[in-house]
Amino acid sequence: MTTLQRRVIQGTALVVVALACFAAVLYVAIEPGRITWLLALPGGTGALVDHYVYFPLRSWTEVLVEIAPGAAFAFAGLIAWSVRPRNRVGLLMMGVGVGFLIGGAGPHSSSAFSETLSQIARPWGEIALLVFGAVSVAMLIHLLLAFPGGRLISASDRALVRSFYVAIPLATLLGGNGRYVPLEALGMSGALNPTLFGYANALPNVLYLACLVVGSALVIRRWILGGRAKRRSLSPVFWSLLPIVFAFLPWTLMSVAGLIWSKPKGLPVVLAPLSASVDLSPLLLVALPIGFLVGLLRAGLDMSSVGDLVVRLSSGLTPDQLRPALAHALQDPSLEVVYWLPTLGWFADFEGQRVELPGPDSERAVSILGDPAAPVAALVYDSSLVHEGQLLDTAAAAVNMALANARLQVQLRAQLEEVRQSRVRLVEAADSERQRVERDLHDGAQQQLVTLLLSMQVAKSEALRHRDRGVANLIDANIASLKEALDELRELARGIHPTILTQAGLCPAIRSLAERCPIPVEVRDDLGDVRLAPPLEAALYFVGAEAITNAVKYSNGHRISVSIGRGSGFATIEVSDDGVGGADLSRGSGLRGLTDRVAAVGGRLIVDSDRPGGTTVHAEVPCV
Amino acid sequence: MRVIIADDSMLFREGLARVLQDAGFEVAGQASNVSELDALLVREKASLVILDIRMPPTQTDEGLIAAKRIRRNHHEMGVLLLSQYVESHHAMELLGESSERVGYLLKDRVADLGEFLDAVRRVGSGGSAVDPLVVSRLLGQKRTRDRLEELTDRERTVLALMAEGRSNDAIASALKISPKTLEAHIGTIYSKLGLEPAASDHRRVLAVLDYLRSS
Repeated sequence: MTTLQRRVIQGTALVVVALACFAAVLYVAIEPGRITWLLALPGGTGALVDHYVYFPLRSWTEVLVEIAPGAAFAFAGLIAWSVRPRNRVGLLMMGVGVGFLIGGAGPHSSSAFSETLSQIARPWGEIALLVFGAVSVAMLIHLLLAFPGGRLISASDRALVRSFYVAIPLATLLGGNGRYVPLEALGMSGALNPTLFGYANALPNVLYLACLVVGSALVIRRWILGGRAKRRSLSPVFWSLLPIVFAFLPWTLMSVAGLIWSKPKGLPVVLAPLSASVDLSPLLLVALPIGFLVGLLRAGLDMSSVGDLVVRLSSGLTPDQLRPALAHALQDPSLEVVYWLPTLGWFADFEGQRVELPGPDSERAVSILGDPAAPVAALVYDSSLVHEGQLLDTAAAAVNMALANARLQVQLRAQLEEVRQSRVRLVEAADSERQRVERDLHDGAQQQLVTLLLSMQVAKSEALRHRDRGVANLIDANIASLKEALDELRELARGIHPTILTQAGLCPAIRSLAERCPIPVEVRDDLGDVRLAPPLEAALYFVGAEAITNAVKYSNGHRISVSIGRGSGFATIEVSDDGVGGADLSRGSGLRGLTDRVAAVGGRLIVDSDRPGGTTVHAEVPCV
Repeated sequence: MRVIIADDSMLFREGLARVLQDAGFEVAGQASNVSELDALLVREKASLVILDIRMPPTQTDEGLIAAKRIRRNHHEMGVLLLSQYVESHHAMELLGESSERVGYLLKDRVADLGEFLDAVRRVGSGGSAVDPLVVSRLLGQKRTRDRLEELTDRERTVLALMAEGRSNDAIASALKISPKTLEAHIGTIYSKLGLEPAASDHRRVLAVLDYLRSS
């Protein structure tokens, strides 16, 4: 047995021990306790010893640089997992760490374990190592995208991560100078086709660059789009990623640029930037797992903020202060409180407006408060808080009474809103019914009577042709009463709905009223040809018509003035007379019903009727 | 005189066609909506279109819009608009800049066949016909400072007939006065109201209606 073989066996034994320790720690960590991560120390020691034993001549610094990133990820992951066992971030970090330790070393590494693995069934051992290293890089992207919730929320994120898991190992194998993929068989030998060969070799670098760019861009995007809660946890990752980007970006860019601008001739094998460097730059990677860990711990909130909430509650919290207080306690400004309305069967916000809860694929998470069969309310918040179940429950329990009170208010508001909308619907239904009746009269009875008039004219000329004066006179008498019937019908239809209102708008309709009025009506109009929405026109028209009728009937005045105007966001009509005044909204008059009509479209009606000085009726409705 | 009739009621169209034919008019075609009317206008030569203000599809003011378009595009053609309601607003909109070859009548006017056919002839030959109800409403409208009150009853009647679009001859014979007396009346009316004398019988319609609406 040669010295080399003995050392290989020794080294392998050490690595097996180290991995076994690590596995034991993982096993313990499944039942989390704060101290379990201490047990991982033997694993790290094993890895260190493994690397050091094999090449005793190497300096400690070199060994440290080689294993520090992987070890940092593995340990930080372990801590993360024991602190947040339900969050996958810890597992992913451990995966990245183990991947770096085992595979990142690669075939040119100096670890006894990797040397042993390379010896077994060449080239499969080496291929396995390369794939391990590559997968760990993909896992790093996965980690960046899943942080801090631990889950990939959007479908595009999932697709991106999947593609990296496939593409990076493939590209790494392609880039092995034809050692692992038979490039020559594909006509891509270095001698025959140096350009293509060079490209294949540089492929991993292009992909690593892509990883770097995509990963950084996604973190920055999430940092910009995320709320304050998300930024709190993302910023440590962001700051620890920054030096890495600065250290590796020029290096990767240069190798890609060299590929593009100079004709590559059998480029040297460039391995992953994570393992190939011999300088101290890989140590920068140690900052990243620390950033993740700090970020994850910052995402966690301490109970003291809930304590503040309880204090504020005891000092009296009005229902409208409830949401800001909860948002502050849970440190998520985007937090919403929605209330379950059992009578209506949906959730509503504080204003009583109906709210749909976000679905499972959303960036927002939901906690139902109270019995799920008969909930009181629900909290809708940033999904980064999803692992803070206990904190949410505590906060929700603290505000339970206040929530129940607030719900009563919301319920009242929602019912008021329902009533308001139902009033709008009633008015609109009545309006369209009036129009329908008017149209039916116009197209039916009125048209038939007019046609009958024509027929009678024809009959009359027939009678005259037969010199039957008597019949002609009879027909004339019928024509006269038919005309009277038509006049009456016309006035009836006009009262139901004036067609000029729909045809020409508010001002022509009011002017038409003025033309018929037995006392002078002066119309001032700032609206011109502008048309308002039909319900608004109808509301203002009927106010004007009723006010003019009242002025004629009761005011004893000599003149009426009507002004129609429009301000920013509202339209008005004002009818005043110079009569005796004394009109009163509260005493049953036509104006009483009009108050409701104007209110239904969100406007208001004011009657000013001081004696003496006449009556002024003013209505305004909101319009765009 | 060739006439085109447009109304969505077939019975009314047929009745009107019959009455017009009996009175010696030639009915060039009938249309039940605006697009049929447009097709007829291209195909047939006519000197007058009689159309209803409300036609499909919306049954609001399609007829008015079509009438204004015909007046713009076919200067030689008369347009007589019929409606179940008459409004001075619509009358002024239809007249626009000129009171030539235009009429606006309540549909019921077919009951006074003589008057109706006279209005049809007037519009067909370049004159105008404004419904008496529009004129009487404008004349009867109460005003705070009313110059119309200075007019005698006879002068008011003359003014109303002028506003309806009737010629001096027609007014004189309707009131059984001599043309000279009528001209004296008209002169007094113009000076009392402060109106410029108009060049022809039908041009003065617009001036008088304008005066009545604005005062």
